[in-house]
Amino acid sequence: MNSAAGAEPTQPPMLEIRAIGKRFDATQALDDVSLSLRAGEIHALLGENGAGKSTLIKILTGVHQPDRGQILLDGQPIVMRSAAEAQRLGIAAIYQEPLLFPDLNVAENIFISHGDRGAFVDWRRLYREAEAILAELGVALDVRSPARGLTLAAQQTVEIAKAISMNVRVLIMDEPTASLSAHEAEGLFKLVRDLARQQVAILFVSHRMEEVFELADRVTVFRDGRHISTRPRAEATPQGAIADMVGRELAGLTAFASAARKELLLSVANLGRQGVFEGVSFDLHRGEVLGFAGLIGAGRTDVGLALFGIEPATSGTITLAGEPIVVRSPREGMARGIAYVSEDRRQLGLILPMSIFANITLPMLRRYLDRFGLIRRSEERRTADAFRTRLSIRAPSVDLEVAKLSGGNQQKVMLSKWLNTRPAILILDEPTRGVDVGSKAEVHAIIAELAAEGIGVIVISSDLPEVLALSDRVLVMREGRQMAILERAEANQESVMTAAMGARQ
Amino acid sequence: MNWLQRRVRPEQIRELSLMAIIVVAVVLFGSLIDNYYSFRTFNRIASSVAIITVLGVGQTLVVLTRNIDLSVGSIVGFTAYFVGTLIAHHPAINPALAVGLCVLLGAALGIVNGLLVAFGRVPAVVVTLGTLAIYRGVLVDLSHSKTVTADSLPQWLLDLPLINVVPFGSLDIRALFVLALAIVVVFHLGVGYLSFARQFYAVGSNPEAAHLIGLPIKRLVMLSFIISGALAGLGGFMFLARFGNITVEAGRGLELSVVAAVVVGGVNVFGGSGTIVGAMLGAILIGTLEQSLYRLGISEFWLSAVLGLLILLAVASDAIILDRLRALWARTELKLITDSKPARPS
Repeated sequence: MNSAAGAEPTQPPMLEIRAIGKRFDATQALDDVSLSLRAGEIHALLGENGAGKSTLIKILTGVHQPDRGQILLDGQPIVMRSAAEAQRLGIAAIYQEPLLFPDLNVAENIFISHGDRGAFVDWRRLYREAEAILAELGVALDVRSPARGLTLAAQQTVEIAKAISMNVRVLIMDEPTASLSAHEAEGLFKLVRDLARQQVAILFVSHRMEEVFELADRVTVFRDGRHISTRPRAEATPQGAIADMVGRELAGLTAFASAARKELLLSVANLGRQGVFEGVSFDLHRGEVLGFAGLIGAGRTDVGLALFGIEPATSGTITLAGEPIVVRSPREGMARGIAYVSEDRRQLGLILPMSIFANITLPMLRRYLDRFGLIRRSEERRTADAFRTRLSIRAPSVDLEVAKLSGGNQQKVMLSKWLNTRPAILILDEPTRGVDVGSKAEVHAIIAELAAEGIGVIVISSDLPEVLALSDRVLVMREGRQMAILERAEANQESVMTAAMGARQ
Repeated sequence: MNWLQRRVRPEQIRELSLMAIIVVAVVLFGSLIDNYYSFRTFNRIASSVAIITVLGVGQTLVVLTRNIDLSVGSIVGFTAYFVGTLIAHHPAINPALAVGLCVLLGAALGIVNGLLVAFGRVPAVVVTLGTLAIYRGVLVDLSHSKTVTADSLPQWLLDLPLINVVPFGSLDIRALFVLALAIVVVFHLGVGYLSFARQFYAVGSNPEAAHLIGLPIKRLVMLSFIISGALAGLGGFMFLARFGNITVEAGRGLELSVVAAVVVGGVNVFGGSGTIVGAMLGAILIGTLEQSLYRLGISEFWLSAVLGLLILLAVASDAIILDRLRALWARTELKLITDSKPARPS
C-alpha cells in the first residue's frame, strides 16, 4: 500500500548523511552516524530519549551544524548554516507543536517564508494559491481565518502546505501524531503517503510502534547517539526494534539490595489530572524504591507533581498511612511528609546565587528562628554541615554559592534540602541527569541508604539501567496511562521498553 | 458559522465597540458641558487627537513586535524645542526643511532606542524608560531651561494649525488633523499590502517561529523604533505649530496618552495583532477624554489616573473578552474532503 519506489534498492539516495558527529559539552549527541533517505520513501527513525533523534533533526534543518561528517543532497555535499537555508534546499521539518504565526491567517502562514513574491501582497493571488495547495492536499480549510484557534491537526496541515509551497523534497516529521486523535492521525498518514507518492523523502520520527509499522518502508534505530540498525519493514519487527533500542550494557550498575518492608506507606488509586494523565494506581511501602519508567512526555513527572501538590490531581485517591488525603499545594505536600526533588535543578530546585546552607534550610526556615523571629545562622550552618558530611558534598564550606558546585554536588544539595524536611516519601525526578559517572554512583548509594532508613522513594528516570538497578518495582507509563507495574524479577530493559512503547509482547 | 461570524472578525468587533464607546463619551460630555457641540470643541479635540494619532501609529509598529517605546514624549519635546529654536533664529527657513529636520532628528533618537533593544538585547521598557529621562535631561541641559516663544516664530508656522483643508459643512477639518489622517492611511495600507511590513506581525506573533524561518527580526525591531522616533519627530513639529510656546516640559507625559491610545485601540501588548485604524480610534477616544475632562475642570492627575485605568481595562478585556470571542469564532474544523465521518466536536 505504500509507494513502490521506496522499496527500490537500486535508486540512489536523495539525502545522505555520512559519519555525522555532534558534541554538546560532555555529551556526544551523535557519533559517526550515517543514514540515507530515498525519494518517495517513508523512513521511520526510532530511539529512546537521548538517542540523538532530535539532534539529527536539528542538523538536517540547519539549526545545528555538525562537528564532523557530510550531508549530501542528490549526491552533492551541502552546508546549511540556518533553518532558512535548509528550507531553500527543500528540507523542511514538522514538529509535534507546529510553529505557526497565530495572528496571521492560513494563507499568509503558508507563504511566510517566500521572499520572492514581490514587495506588495497580492491578497487575491495569495488566497487563490493557498487554496490550490490545500486542495491538492485534499483538505478544505478557510485560508482567510487566522491560525490561532485551528486544531493541532489543521495546524500540521498548514505546516505541510507550507513545506509543499517551498517545493519540499525532504520532509522530517518529529512525532507529528503525539497530540492527535486516532482519526486525525489517519488523515495525516494519508497526506504522508500522498507526499511519498510524489517522490518526497520522508523521515518519520515516532514513539508509536503501530504507526511506524503501518507507514514506514524502512526502519532505523538509534541508541546513545549511534546508528544501530536500518531494516526494510518486511525484515523488521517491533520486538527486534525494541531490542535494538535498549541493547545497551549495564556498565557498572549493580542492583541494590532491597530494603522494602511490609508496612504500607502510600496507596494511590486511579489518580488522574484532567487531560494530562489518568488511571495511575500503585502502593508504596516503607523502605521501598518504586521506579517510574517511560518515554519523555509519558506523564511520569506529572504524577510526581500531583503527589506533591504542584499540579494537584483532579481524580482518584491518595491514602497516606491509612488516611485518605488531598494534596492541593506543595505546602500541603510537605506537611504530609512528601518531598519532591525536581528534574530541573536550575529553574525549580536551587537558588544558584545563594549559599549551600541557605538553600538547604529554605523550605524549613521556621525551624531556625529564635524567639525574636530572626534566623539563627549558626543553626543553619550546623544542619548544612551535617548534610555535607553525610552526603559528602564536595565544597570547602557551606557558605559557598551553589552556582559554583558541580552538577553532582548541586544534586546532593537538592537532596539535603528535601531530606531536611524529614520526609516519609521522597520523589526524585531524574536524580542523575547531567551528573558525572562518579557522582551518579554516589547518588545511587544515597538513595539506597535512604530507603534502608525506611523512606519510601519514587525514582522517576529516563535512564533505564538506573531505574532497574535502584527499584524494587517499576511502574511503566505511556501517553498519560499506567501500562504495567513490573516486579524486580520480571523487570528488564526489554519488558520495560515494550510496555513504554505500547507494543504487544 | 453564521453570517455575522463570516463577515466580522473578533478584532473588528473590538473596533466597532470602541466607536460605540466614543459616541457614548461624546453624548455624555455633551450633557455635562455647556456648549460642548461647537467648532471650538471639535478643533481642540481634533488637534489633540492628531498628535496622539501620529505617535500612536509609530507606537503600534513597535508594540506589534512585542516592544514598547516610552521615549516618544521626550522625543516630541526634544524636536519641538530644538527645531523651534532653529526656526526662531532663521525665520526664513524652508517649511519643508523644517519638517524634514524634525523627522530626521526623531529618527536619530529612534535609532538609539532601536540599537539598544535589537542589538544590545536590553528589554525595550528599560531602554526607552532610560532614553525618556536622558533625552529630556539633555534637552533641559542644552536649553538652559529657556523657552521658545510664539512671537519668535514665523507667521506661516503659527497659521498652520488654523488652515482649513476641507470645509465640511460649517465644520473645519484642519491641516494637522488631515496630516494625521494621511499618515494613518499610508501606514494602514503599508502594513496591509507591503510584504515586509507583514513581518512586523509575524515577529510579534511567534518570535521563535520567526527566528526559525529566518525573518530579519533585529532589522524589523530596529525599523519599528526608527519609524516610531521619526513619527514622534513629526509629532514634535505638530506640537510646535499647535502651541508656539515650547518649554523644556513640552510633550511630557505624552507617552502615557499614546500607549493608552494604542492599547485601547486593540493593539495587543504581547505583540502580533492590532491595526493602525484601531490605534487611531484609540487616539480619538483618549483625545476626547483629555480635552473634555479638562473642560470639566478635572485635574491632570486624575486624567492620568483615568488613562492608567483605561490601559488596565483594555488589557484585561483583551485577555478575557477577546479570547472568548476568538474561541467562539475558531470553529474552523479541519475537514478532509474525502472524509465521510462527521467532524468531531471541538
